[in-house]
Amino acid sequence: MITGKEKVLWILYGTVLLVLFLLSSTDLIIKEKEGEIYSVSVVVEKTADDDYVNFRKGAERAAIELNADVSFITLYEEGNQKQQTELLLREQQDGSRALIVSPVDQEAVARLLSEKRVTVPMVLLNSEIPSTGDGATARIAFDYYAMGRQLGEQVLTEQPPGQMVYLIGGQVADMVSQRFLDGILSVIVPSGRCLVSRQQKGKEGWKAFVEGLGRPGGQVAGEVVIALDPGSLAEVAQLLAEDPAHASYVDGLYGRGTTVRILNYLDKGVINGLCITDDFSAGYLSVKTAVELSGNQVPADMGYLESHYIKKEDLRKEDYEKLLYPIE
Amino acid sequence: MKDRRGKWRILIFFLCIGAVSVGCARLEKEDGKKSVRIGVSLYRGDDTFINNIRGELENCAKDYEQKQGVKVTLDIQDAKGNQNTQNNQVERFISLGCDVMCINPVDRTAASVIIDKAMTAGIPLVFFNRQPVEEDMNRWDQLYYVGAAAKESAVLQGSILVEQYKKDPGSLDINGDGVISYVLLEGESSHQDSLIRTEWSIQTLKDGGVPIEKITGGIANWERSQASALMEQWLEQYPDTIELVICNNDDMALGAIDALERAGDGGANLVGIDATIPGLEAVRSGKLLGTVSADKERYAGAIFSLASAKALGEEIDPDISLEGGKYYWCPQVAVTEN
Repeated sequence: MITGKEKVLWILYGTVLLVLFLLSSTDLIIKEKEGEIYSVSVVVEKTADDDYVNFRKGAERAAIELNADVSFITLYEEGNQKQQTELLLREQQDGSRALIVSPVDQEAVARLLSEKRVTVPMVLLNSEIPSTGDGATARIAFDYYAMGRQLGEQVLTEQPPGQMVYLIGGQVADMVSQRFLDGILSVIVPSGRCLVSRQQKGKEGWKAFVEGLGRPGGQVAGEVVIALDPGSLAEVAQLLAEDPAHASYVDGLYGRGTTVRILNYLDKGVINGLCITDDFSAGYLSVKTAVELSGNQVPADMGYLESHYIKKEDLRKEDYEKLLYPIE
Repeated sequence: MKDRRGKWRILIFFLCIGAVSVGCARLEKEDGKKSVRIGVSLYRGDDTFINNIRGELENCAKDYEQKQGVKVTLDIQDAKGNQNTQNNQVERFISLGCDVMCINPVDRTAASVIIDKAMTAGIPLVFFNRQPVEEDMNRWDQLYYVGAAAKESAVLQGSILVEQYKKDPGSLDINGDGVISYVLLEGESSHQDSLIRTEWSIQTLKDGGVPIEKITGGIANWERSQASALMEQWLEQYPDTIELVICNNDDMALGAIDALERAGDGGANLVGIDATIPGLEAVRSGKLLGTVSADKERYAGAIFSLASAKALGEEIDPDISLEGGKYYWCPQVAVTEN
């Protein structure tokens, strides 16, 4: 026969067990703090992410540190603003709390903002659309004009006077290539030290251009090629590497880019000089800024991010190695 | 009387709730899912073949989005050859709410950890390129594998050399001693494909009546740089002896070509497997005698097709013929300059 005291003890024992169960296995008593996930979408102007490898590494690093869920989206068709607009609106509708965009067309993206069709915060990559400063937009950019000027000065320093300078690439009317070109021309044209010729891509890419090298009619001292975009630089470097006969006519190949393919050609000596950007930082800061904007913070204006001019011998320098081959 | 009416009211109330719930569930099903999220973890993103597959997967996702109007989010992660990193990536995919995961395992014998996590979360798994052991694959009916049959690759690689020998024995037997002296560059010892590729490539040569003699061999872990270093060493050790370099993949064949070019030795013939873009360029330029191509579009297409069907709860495309309901073997062809 159980006494009344024993009954109380059993009930007490059962109650303690129940409380312990509720404490350890449920969130009825202790509420576990749920980490807020910031959904961020990156929509770039390209159809592939080849030029965004280090950018993505930086973005992924920030995503892990800041509890963000980053979707990286490329276009179905290169340079199609309509598609980019549709993707931006789709991502907004699907719950992205902030958008990061490298605009195909600056004005179209500016219109999206002014017409309030995009209502979530937006981080603009390499854009000239001014940051509103009200927490709606922010800008992450490199100074491509200054980069172009720096490259132009290096070409004038490294190459003798009287050269024919071929400017190739940048067909898609993107702001980055245009600013880079303006910077180069602002140095090379006033110097009067060389002739400048803008070249157009043929049906077979840059093959016809490379095969046409070495026939300027003996009026110039030599030939220098400057590629305005990374894709053209990699293509011409490959063609020159495979065609030593035509490569012998080229005194210098220059451009911009940080892809492994381009860096390998710099290492092999096919490319003479290269403008590089800190893409890892750009990716990291883009996501960080997007998270801050979606949390109603106004991020500090970062100005332009750093860029450098490097040659083959700089590739093994520790600072550049960290920048070009970042560890995730 | 009043009590009985109360019971009826309660019964009707619960019936209404039940009807509404069933209705909502049906509505959701009819409306269809408008987006799928697929987590993809690669054993090493710098492997050329895997990188090609990754590119094709992205193309498949874009095509599918455009044709089906279903948004596809591909979360592609590089495990950098570290199984712990891959396990963490799988956990992250689960926490991000992926509908299905496509895993290229770092260690095929350690797939059980990933399977455990997926089974607990109820997320189907599509393994590719590195085949988990059979016991693991049999643990759940939501596990699939997409790959190229290693034996078929090896037989095709061997047949490139057999055909070449039949056509022009002197082109392989460079020193004319009646025996073709070869070196072998193998993939990781833990990868099922490297063992099978080596065994069946040599067997096909022997079956085809090609007189061969092995000089040496080494494991270069599928990597161009490691293959290049090994080949450089062998060229010093066995000068003017190596007539043939048999490689378990194209990257290692390209590494051997690098070493041959550095040594200024253009004598040896090389064969690879995978038909990567640089590998095909080497075939076109005559540096590589031949390679074996698994149709990468079909390979990635099968991975994506299985993943999207599982994510949307649909039937698997009948064109994807699964061996034992689990395994898809991608067709392959031999590729030579001709």
